[in-house]
Amino acid sequence: MTSLDTLLAGLARERATGALRVGRNGTIFLSEGRVTYMECAQTPGAERLLAAGGLVTEAALRRARADGGCARLLEEGCVTRGELQYAVLGAVLDAAFFLLPGVGTRPKFRPGEQHWLGGQWFFDVAGLVRECARRREQLARIWPSADLDTAPVRPVPCPPGQSVTLSKAQWEILVRADQVSTPLELARQIGRSGYSILLGVRRLAAAGLLAPPEAPALPKRARRPEDRRPPHDPRAAHQPLGPQVTGDPADLALLLRLKKALEELT
Amino acid sequence: MLGLDTCLAEVMSIPGALDAMLIDHTSGMAVAFSTASGVDADRSAEALTEALRATSDGLSRSSPGDYVRVDEMLITTDKGHHLLRLLDTAFEGPLALYVRLDMERSNLALARHRLQAISNQLLT
Repeated sequence: MTSLDTLLAGLARERATGALRVGRNGTIFLSEGRVTYMECAQTPGAERLLAAGGLVTEAALRRARADGGCARLLEEGCVTRGELQYAVLGAVLDAAFFLLPGVGTRPKFRPGEQHWLGGQWFFDVAGLVRECARRREQLARIWPSADLDTAPVRPVPCPPGQSVTLSKAQWEILVRADQVSTPLELARQIGRSGYSILLGVRRLAAAGLLAPPEAPALPKRARRPEDRRPPHDPRAAHQPLGPQVTGDPADLALLLRLKKALEELT
Repeated sequence: MLGLDTCLAEVMSIPGALDAMLIDHTSGMAVAFSTASGVDADRSAEALTEALRATSDGLSRSSPGDYVRVDEMLITTDKGHHLLRLLDTAFEGPLALYVRLDMERSNLALARHRLQAISNQLLT
C-alpha cells in the first residue's frame, strides 16, 4: 500500500486537477498539482470554523455554496478575504496533519472535481508534508507521549501548584472537558482546529493538569461456573452421599481375585 | 481587498521596512513572509511566537486581577525596531504581523499607524 504523501507527490508532478477521495477519511482537492482544499472526517472544516467563530451563519454558507461561491461570500461583507483565507489555511493544514500519515485506503482520483472553498490558498505538496512534520515535532517537544491525543481529556481535580496560567485554548478545553470526550471531539464541539486542541492538551499534560490515561482494563476473571462451587456453598450442585462409586463390575472381579490371592499367601 | 498573501507587500512599503512576516500564533507557522536573504522563516516564526507567549505569560503574572491582551509589541535593539501586531481572529488563536525596521530610515509612529491600518483592512 503506497503512503498518501507519495501518491500526492505523484499527482503534484503530473500537475493534476481533481479530487482524491481517501476512503471515508477525507478528500484532497488539487488544482494543477497544488492542493486547494482538504477535508478530513476527524477535524472541523473551514465552514465549521467560520460558523463557530460567529462570522458567517450556516445559512449564508449554504447559500454561497449553492450559488456564487466565495465571491458571493465576500460580496455580502460578513467576512474579509483575509479571514476566509485564514479559515481555509487552518482547515487544510489541520486536515493534512491527521489525513496524510495514514495509508491510502482505496484512494480514488476524480479528475476535474473542485471544492467550492478551493482557490483561496494554494499549498504545494512538499510544503504541506514539511509543515505536518514540523507540527508533529512541536507536539513531541512539549510532551513526548501521544497517549493523551486519543484518550478522554480528564483534568486533575486539584492543580499541583498554587496557581496556574492558562491560554485561551487551554481554558476552553478545561471548560468543555467532560471526562469522556477525546481531544478531537472537543475540537469539533469548540470549533477550533484539532491541532490547536492537541497542543493545548499536551501543554496541560506537561503542566501536570491532566490525569494520566487509564491503563487498558485487565481481562475480567471468568465467572466460576455453578458446578465448580465449593461443596459447602448452599448453591453448589448436589453431591451424592458417601464416596463416589463406580458401578463397574470389572472392579468387583478384581477385588475378589485380590482377596483370593491374599488368602492363598497365608 | 487585502489578503493574507498580499498584505505583506503593503507592510514592506512602510518606510524603513527590512523584513515582514505573518505568523500563525497557535502553531508558530510562518503563513507568509517577504523574501529576505538569510532568514529562515520557519525558525524565526517559531522563535517570535515563543517570545510573544513568554511576554503575555509574564505580563499576566505581573498584573494580577486584570486581563492581559497584547495588542502590539515593540522591541528596540541597537540596530533597529521590531514591531509585532497581534490580530485577533474569530476562530483561531491570533495572527501576528511582524515587521523589522531600520533604525535610521524608519519613523516608528508612522510604521505603527500603517501597520494598524493594514491589520484593520485584513480582518473585521
